[in-house]
Amino acid sequence: MRFLLTSLCFFLLIGCASYPVQNGFEPENGSLRETSNPYFANTEKDYVYKAKIDAFNKSFGGIFIVKKLGEAHHRIAFTTEIGNTIFDFTFEGNDFKVNRILKELDKKVLINILKRDFKALIQEQSRVKNSFTSDKNTILQTDILSKKHYFYYADRQLHKIARVDRNKEKVEFNFTQIEEQFAKEIEIAHHNFKLHIALKALK
Amino acid sequence: MHKILFLLFFISLSAVAQKEMTSAEATALKAKVKTRANATTTVLSEFTQYKHLDFLSDDIVSQGKLAFKVPNLVKWEYTKPFAYSVLFKNETLFINDDGNKSNMDVGSNKIFKQLNQLITASIRGDMFDDNEFNIKYFKINDSSLVYFLPKDEQFSKFIKAFHLSFNANGDVTEVKMIEPSDDYTQIKFTDRIVNKNLPDAVFTH
Repeated sequence: MRFLLTSLCFFLLIGCASYPVQNGFEPENGSLRETSNPYFANTEKDYVYKAKIDAFNKSFGGIFIVKKLGEAHHRIAFTTEIGNTIFDFTFEGNDFKVNRILKELDKKVLINILKRDFKALIQEQSRVKNSFTSDKNTILQTDILSKKHYFYYADRQLHKIARVDRNKEKVEFNFTQIEEQFAKEIEIAHHNFKLHIALKALK
Repeated sequence: MHKILFLLFFISLSAVAQKEMTSAEATALKAKVKTRANATTTVLSEFTQYKHLDFLSDDIVSQGKLAFKVPNLVKWEYTKPFAYSVLFKNETLFINDDGNKSNMDVGSNKIFKQLNQLITASIRGDMFDDNEFNIKYFKINDSSLVYFLPKDEQFSKFIKAFHLSFNANGDVTEVKMIEPSDDYTQIKFTDRIVNKNLPDAVFTH
């Protein structure tokens, strides 16, 4: 009985523990004041990906396009393979604009999810609130659209972003196949509902 | 000053190059396409697609094959830079996305279906539907360019216009779909083979 109570307390404690504690992060007095994400930072480059989206038990493909147009200014579009635009958004500073969205997808809830995900995906710099280390990772905590995000770096290379809410990881962004500050494969996985986006660079 | 004159000269030249057809010429084109279509049972063609978005530095280029068999079997197969095919069969859209097979799509069905009807119809020769489109006819040397502006208000929010180019034989050589934003998809057909025996296996999912 005592063991049970102890275990229960332990689980409750862990359950309530902060995300860094749960994951065994060691606090660090880091010198980095800003997070950095170099993967959509080149205005010369067209970032074009084949996308596979699994959403609410439906699966569909398309072409996912990101273009940096200026300082903190990105355009993000998604088209079908044949080229019809499904959505087209502009992020400029703190502004967000829907240039175009298919009528069937023109839902505030959905647009907000996409806005949050893409903002986190492209945000090049953001003020660091806390720094940690874990294994070979340096982890920087920041806020994007008022939500906690943890940027994971290994060998100074960003490979994961986690959005955390109430101490739980809600969304993770994984960057792989990285070549010269270009992530050829990106995964955006939601843990609290069925939405999974897999991106593979076309060139 | 010379440069401006030179430029003006070229602008006026290109303006001359695309000329609106007389109604007699338009009727002749329709008849030519129809005759050609009636004699066509299958078409195989390579295509190159250029997706133009104004904010991009370069068009997104993809390539593939189109197969058509009367009355309405159509398969679009992209091979580069990704593997993706769409098959229209029995009023259904079958998608094979790099091995992942499905028969649904997000919202694009209607557009694909319309475009497909348009291509199918252009091959069959009964595309010039005045109820569905406002149609404008142009000639460029010995080829023709036809604008189809959808009359359906909902549809015109997806695609503002289709521009189809025909060669002197009355074959479709190019399709351009223009979105309301003026961004467009241009599909150029090459190596067209007509009436080659195409087994049904070509059109399996």
